[in-house]
Amino acid sequence: MTTTSEPVAEQVQAFLTERTRQTWARDTDLFAVGGVSSMFAMELVVHLESTFDIVIAGPDLALDNFRTVDGMTALVLRLREAEQ
Amino acid sequence: MSDDLAGLVADRVGDRAAGWDVAGELPRDLLAELGALGVLCAQVGVEHGGAGLDSRANGELTAAVGELCGSLRSVMTSQGMAAWAIRRLGTAGQRDHFLRRLTSGELAAVGFSEPGAGSDLAAMATTITDGGSGDVVVRGRKVWVTAAHYADLLLVFGGYRGGATAVVVPADTPGVRVERVPHPSGCRAAGHAGLVLDHVRVPADHVLGGVGLPLPLVVTAALTYGRMSVAWGCVGILRACLAAAVEHTGGREQFGIPLAGHQLVGRLLAELYVGEQIATRACEHASASWDGGAPEVATDAVQAKYVASRAAAAGASHAVQLLASAAACDGHVVARAYRDAKLMEIIEGTTEICQLLLAEHVRGRAGTVRGRP
Repeated sequence: MTTTSEPVAEQVQAFLTERTRQTWARDTDLFAVGGVSSMFAMELVVHLESTFDIVIAGPDLALDNFRTVDGMTALVLRLREAEQ
Repeated sequence: MSDDLAGLVADRVGDRAAGWDVAGELPRDLLAELGALGVLCAQVGVEHGGAGLDSRANGELTAAVGELCGSLRSVMTSQGMAAWAIRRLGTAGQRDHFLRRLTSGELAAVGFSEPGAGSDLAAMATTITDGGSGDVVVRGRKVWVTAAHYADLLLVFGGYRGGATAVVVPADTPGVRVERVPHPSGCRAAGHAGLVLDHVRVPADHVLGGVGLPLPLVVTAALTYGRMSVAWGCVGILRACLAAAVEHTGGREQFGIPLAGHQLVGRLLAELYVGEQIATRACEHASASWDGGAPEVATDAVQAKYVASRAAAAGASHAVQLLASAAACDGHVVARAYRDAKLMEIIEGTTEICQLLLAEHVRGRAGTVRGRP
């Protein structure tokens, strides 16, 4: 099964909306606007792992991968690709 | 599997925990043996020589060890946290290499705190810098590193390439000094030590992940395992206290009836029992989050650690009161529990830091309570 970016991005946006009660454009820097705590960053990691059945470890934990919805989408697609 | 391993540890520990507490030393060969059996970091997968337990089963094992000996359980927390940090922060190659070493009898300790960075870990001053010729150079000081006295491998957290990560430093590397905390008030045989790292050179492939990662994420990832382990260890403390209190107050008579028949004694027993039950439930909840991949796992681990360590400190205090002079000597299971439990309110995020994290968590989502959106 190949995954395209649109449904992944929508899923990530839905999670962010649920948890922060605000909507996030795909390129908004979550960390720059102070919307994200260290605990929430960990929540994002575990959420992406369990939702998309991937493991995010080592260098993939770099902040740039979690900064925006687009960044997380690209990470998910890359890791899913690598596992297939 | 968890029960088998717990039985094995109980067999090896026997009645020696009191002596270890008084001497301030665990037998090194026992630690190496338990390490090689995969007991000390039992969530490591079988593919790396571990027992492959899930968080719940490892939690029950941790509580069983904690009921016997808080110092041994502390060593277990360190080994497990090192293994988890390697699994989370390391590359595939580093996981294969180092996890196998941690299940082969080598012991590990994890260094976070520094003279100027306790609760405020962002103030960490330890640095890992590229040193050329395939090496990195580690400089800094760490304090209160549990199990460092026994460790073969020191997992040292520090700044790296604009971010942070941990580096695996073999304890015998030139420039490493391990200075034992002379007389810790609790978990006395856990081998707490300070580390002095003076231009320590290690191969660059010992730097977990090989890149600078966000410090809050790095710390939260590693501490989440530590908090789970401490929380389950506190359940063990509570179970040890409950067992000792029930036995003592059921057997000793004063004013013509067993102590437990006196209402004021009964109240302490009830509170101790409820403390054990609540701590267990909080740990079970956090382990279910861990095993189920729930995003809230980091917060649930903070909650479990907060609840269980406070319950353990209060419960151990009750147990001391109930056993009175019978427990008023070092080495006694209740005396150990009393001293050990208080440290559990400090380690892996103090009670106050836990409160701040939980307050921040609830503020971030005012109006939503999990399960009742």
